[in-house]
Amino acid sequence: MLFLAKAALGLGGTIVLAGAYTFHEGVIRVDVDESREGGSHVHMWVPAAAVPMAMHIIPKRHFMYASEHGRDFVPLARAIVKELKKFPDAELIEVDDGTQHVRIRTHEGKLQIDETEPGQDVHLLIPLSTLEDVTSQLEANAPSA
Amino acid sequence: MTSLTPSFCKKAALITAAAVVLSPIGAWAQTTTDKTSSNVATASAKGDRWLHVRVISTDGKGETVRVNVPLEMAEKVLPAINHDRLHDGKVKIDCAHANDVDLRALAEAIRNSKDGEYVTVQGNDNDVRVAKQSNYLIVHVLDKTKSKKQQVEIKVPMKVVDALFSAGKDELDLVAALHALSAQGDTELVSVKDQENTVRVWLDSKNVTE
Repeated sequence: MLFLAKAALGLGGTIVLAGAYTFHEGVIRVDVDESREGGSHVHMWVPAAAVPMAMHIIPKRHFMYASEHGRDFVPLARAIVKELKKFPDAELIEVDDGTQHVRIRTHEGKLQIDETEPGQDVHLLIPLSTLEDVTSQLEANAPSA
Repeated sequence: MTSLTPSFCKKAALITAAAVVLSPIGAWAQTTTDKTSSNVATASAKGDRWLHVRVISTDGKGETVRVNVPLEMAEKVLPAINHDRLHDGKVKIDCAHANDVDLRALAEAIRNSKDGEYVTVQGNDNDVRVAKQSNYLIVHVLDKTKSKKQQVEIKVPMKVVDALFSAGKDELDLVAALHALSAQGDTELVSVKDQENTVRVWLDSKNVTE
C-alpha cells in the first residue's frame, strides 16, 4: 500500500513538474475562423516551451535556409522583441479600413495579432520570450557573411 | 499507535520531500509573476516616451491607422536596420548641398540666431512660413490649390535638429535625434490636414492613442 502511495506521489510529482516546465513559458495560440461555406476553423494551443525544444531537432540546413532568407529581417525582429519585453502592455499598431481590422499589441508578455475581415478572423498569441528564442536561434545559425 | 508511527513518519518524510522538490517551482513562478508585474510598474513609473502616429482618412472607406512606438525601443531598433541609405541609425543624404544649400550650415545658422520668422512666402498656390520660436523650428505650409487645400505644420525642437545634424557630413543621425526627442516634453511634431486625410505625429508618455 505504501509502495503504491509512493509510486502515485512520484508519478503525480513528475506530471506536475513536466506540466510546470511545459507551460512555464505560456502557450502559443492560433485561431483561424473562415466563415464562408466549407471554411476552415483552426484552433491550436501549443506550449511555448516546446518551440525551442523542437528547434533543436530541426536539421541545421533548414535553419541556414531560413536565416539566409531572413538575413535583414531576423536581427531587426530580435531587437524589436528584446525591447518590447521591457515595456508595459501597449497597442502598437491598429489599422481599420471599415471592413478590415488589424491590431498588433503586447499583452502580458505576449505579442497579440488580431486580424478581422469579412469571412475571416485570425488571432495569434505568441509569448515574446518564445519569439526571442526563435530569432536568437535563427541569428545564431545564420551563415557568416 | 507504535506500529503506525514509522509509517506516519515515512509518509510525512515523503510529503515533505515532495514539497521541498516542488517548492522551487512555486517560488520560481512567484518570482516570474513578481518580475513581470514589477517590470510593468517600473516601465510605467520611469515615464517612457512614446511616439504616436495617427492617420485618419475620410475617403470612401474611412481608413484609420494608429501606431504607438516607445522612443527607447526605436532608438535601440533603428541601428539594427541596414537598408539602402540607412545604416547604424544614420541616413546618408546626397542632397546635403541640395540646390547649393548646405543644410548643416543652415541648421547651425538657425541655432545661433534669435527667434524670428526666417521665411515667409505668400503666393496664390502656397503660403510658406519657416520660423524659430522658443527653441522650436516651425514650418507651416498651406497649399491653397482647390484640389488639395492641404495644411502642413511641423514643430521640431532645436535640440532635435542639432542632434539630427550631429553626425558626419552628408549624414543625418536619426538615433541621436530620437534620443534628443526623448528628453522633450509632450509635444505635437507633425500635423497634416487636407480634405481627405489627417495625419498627426506627436510625443507623450502614454502607451495608447487617445
